[in-house]
Amino acid sequence: MERRLVRHFDLLLLLLAAALVSYGALLIYSAAQTTHPDGISGLGHPLVKQIAFAVVGLGITLAVAWLDYRVFGQMAPGLYGLALLMLAAVLVVGDSAFGSRRWFTVAGMQIQASEMAKLMMIVALARFLADRQPQMHKVSVFLQSLAMTAVPAALVMAEPDMGTAIIFGAIWLGMVLIAGAPVRYVSVLLGFLVATIPFATLAVMGDYQRERIGDWLNPNADPLGGGFNIRQAEIAIGSGGPFGKGLMHGSQTQLDFLQTPTTDYIFSVLGEELGLVGALLLFALFTALLFRGIRAATLARDQFGRLLATGIVIMILFQVFINVAVNIRLLPVTGIPLPFISQGGSSLVMLFGALGLLEGIVLRHKQIEF
Amino acid sequence: MFALLRALVILLFGILTIQLIRMQVIHGAGYSHQAEINALREVQVPSARGLVYDRNMQPLVQNTARFSAAIVPGDLPHRGETGVYRTLEQAIGVPVAEIEQRVKEGIDRQGPYSPVVIKGDVDRDTALALTELEPHMPGLKVLVQPARRYLAGPILSHELGYVGPLSQDEYDRLSGSGYLLQDYIGKSGVEATYESILRGKPGKKLIEVDAAGRELKVISERPPVDGSNLVLSIDLDLQKKVADVLREATGPDDNAAAVVMDIHTGEVLAMVSLPTFDNNIFSGPLSEEALAQLINSPAKPLVNHGIAERYPPGSTFKTIVGSAALQEGVANTSTTITSRGYITVQNEYDPNVVYVFKDWAALGPLDFYRGVAMSSDVYFYYLAGGKADEGFRGLGEERVAKYARAFGLGEPTGVDLPGESAGIVPDAQWKEETFHEPWTVGDTYNFGIGQGYLAVTPLQMVCAVSAIANGGELLTPHLLKDVQDSHGNVLEQQDKKVRGTVPVDPGYLEIMRDAMRQSVTSGVANTAAVPGLAVAGKTGTAEFGPPRADGSHETHGWFVGFAPYEDPQVAVVVFVQRGGGGQQAAPAAAKILQYYFQGTRLAQKPEEGR
Repeated sequence: MERRLVRHFDLLLLLLAAALVSYGALLIYSAAQTTHPDGISGLGHPLVKQIAFAVVGLGITLAVAWLDYRVFGQMAPGLYGLALLMLAAVLVVGDSAFGSRRWFTVAGMQIQASEMAKLMMIVALARFLADRQPQMHKVSVFLQSLAMTAVPAALVMAEPDMGTAIIFGAIWLGMVLIAGAPVRYVSVLLGFLVATIPFATLAVMGDYQRERIGDWLNPNADPLGGGFNIRQAEIAIGSGGPFGKGLMHGSQTQLDFLQTPTTDYIFSVLGEELGLVGALLLFALFTALLFRGIRAATLARDQFGRLLATGIVIMILFQVFINVAVNIRLLPVTGIPLPFISQGGSSLVMLFGALGLLEGIVLRHKQIEF
Repeated sequence: MFALLRALVILLFGILTIQLIRMQVIHGAGYSHQAEINALREVQVPSARGLVYDRNMQPLVQNTARFSAAIVPGDLPHRGETGVYRTLEQAIGVPVAEIEQRVKEGIDRQGPYSPVVIKGDVDRDTALALTELEPHMPGLKVLVQPARRYLAGPILSHELGYVGPLSQDEYDRLSGSGYLLQDYIGKSGVEATYESILRGKPGKKLIEVDAAGRELKVISERPPVDGSNLVLSIDLDLQKKVADVLREATGPDDNAAAVVMDIHTGEVLAMVSLPTFDNNIFSGPLSEEALAQLINSPAKPLVNHGIAERYPPGSTFKTIVGSAALQEGVANTSTTITSRGYITVQNEYDPNVVYVFKDWAALGPLDFYRGVAMSSDVYFYYLAGGKADEGFRGLGEERVAKYARAFGLGEPTGVDLPGESAGIVPDAQWKEETFHEPWTVGDTYNFGIGQGYLAVTPLQMVCAVSAIANGGELLTPHLLKDVQDSHGNVLEQQDKKVRGTVPVDPGYLEIMRDAMRQSVTSGVANTAAVPGLAVAGKTGTAEFGPPRADGSHETHGWFVGFAPYEDPQVAVVVFVQRGGGGQQAAPAAAKILQYYFQGTRLAQKPEEGR
């Protein structure tokens, strides 16, 4: 076991994650110049906090990797229940910011419930689907898994956090397809969803979401209101050009034209200061990381491990895609952090936990020992 | 299945990459431009306005400041704004509730970082006290705006003018030359004429601002070039004397004007218009009512009556008609005409209708000198209109008009002050066009004695008399002597400008000067005499307005003249709206000339000057 641990540990996966966190740390430092013009002068600096969380996260990765990931499979019903409890609790006692309730404070630390819930949800769904592998063709299984996802997604939606709800949907979709659900079920469901879009916009979406979509379609209609961030992010990235203006030299970033430049809009900082080249480097790192994740899925010794890895890969992939797409005006504004890059402890800790699961899957893969 | 997942990864990053290439490579330049506009702002650095001095370098203007108490809402201490408001309430007396209200409105209107003026024109002591509080009271700001203080006040208001905020029209016209809407501009007087010299060139500063519009750093700066100083030809002491003399000679609600001019250079040594106003009021808060009162006052205190209003010149015009008659051979020094106190003219079509033109007295036989000296109207009826039944050919309306124009009447003199009137020199064509009536010989008679349609400004008359005094040069009068930089180096000298030469032989002008001298020594202008100084001149008592019950008219009093007779130096015109030439205008002129030549400041006469 000891030898195997060392031999099969996917060091590259961890190095890629470390590279992403370091990359993010640079950007956070640059973006924090407006609020911390004196650089790092104390523990309150966002960069210090981020590195502290990364160190904690690394410990979690190793701990989770050390444990057999199947232990989490056994805990799945409990984890699922805990996820629902957290999401419900945050609606009642959570702190609100930017018009939504997403955090609650435990022992002085702000915890973003939906970040934790995402990973718990992936574990639970992987267990559920793995247990029903032979019955994947059944509509009932398909619908049960859908319902299992819909409940936490609805709670997240109520915060409201449309972006994370969409991530839940994407995770479910990817996992059921990998689990072997018939494609026609998925097609019918998607067709149904498309047909209900008009009703959904009227009935389900709040004013806040409709407004955001309106701002996205035409940010100039309200350039100093909701459209301001969209417009300024777009200008920041566009003005970065192929090579960027140089770290700490982006006028949009350094002159405070971007809102939440260390979190949701950190990609705008990257786009402005490091340009297309910097963005392509980021995409390359993510692609490599995700491919290592897919590798873990292909190596997994059982269906549970396979689905778990798939869920994690899809979660990271869609978070990156949605976050960047919002920054470059391909999608309406939704507050999703850029994995490993955005400042935020909950997100980082959850991602390192997910890496631990991936490492665990790789470590205990079906091996042919020579 | 996992191959599909890998493909999905590639696909999604591909979509992002394509959009990024579109934004950063294809449209990158456009976004860069927008980012620049976002972050850089050009602001103007005001230049100090040039000062104005009199010819003896006595300062006439000071640059001062107007203070306003303001609040910058974005800098107010968190939860501590009431403390700042209360301090402000104590200092300037605006209640806290009102300050709160204004600040709220200010934020709505222009965001949190533009100062909200709570009280404009705070007095200097309060402003100083508030400035001392500024560092301890974040959010409190004392705004300083440049203002002008006119040291001579009402004495030189019409000449110096005043500055005021740019009107929308002026802004539309001048925004291209670097004026901002909040700028001040010369509105009248030399402040307006020499605006470009006084203003200098404002500097420019390219600053970087953050999203809230706060100045972060200066990227580049072009320092302002301060305005240059003006030295006027005005002699402040003489100006004061002229104002005093004129005030004594006129009623409080009447207009009066006087100009003293150097006949060799065209320099205006004094120019007074009554009633006047204090131009300092335009440097402070001016209430609508106060302004309306100034504008609507019947005596029109804002108007410079020396240049902007036209009046019949009366007998002072005889100096021009006399010169013309000599030149045209209509008269010579021995041409003798007898005044029986009137002259009659038959109607051209109906000989039974006879018009009577009166002289002011039956003066008897007069030669040219006596005709001028006694200011005989009959004498000048003959010279201007002739007497057909006696075979005396006069100049006729056309030639009178020609000479009037040659002496500078009927057109602006070109003085360096805004708002000058052209006056009116009538002729047959003018009357036809204006009144659709034919010119009559009676019109020519009236014309010949400076009555009727002829209308002139006092400044035009002093220029005409200067031409007689200096041998025929019609000069452009001017108030500017030179332009100096702040160290007193002369940058630009205002040279004498000759508008033209009057078409009269110097010999004839000499005769006219002689006649004008006799007018003072032994004629109707004897009240202009100054012991020890040979004054030459001509009075005028011009009728105006509707006749009174007894058939007489109200009269303007005029005097034009020059001194010393032997070697003329300065010309003077005095105009009093209600009065007589001999009774009011001539004595006033005498006092002015006496002061000028014999006053305490003998050493500072311009021709002997610095």
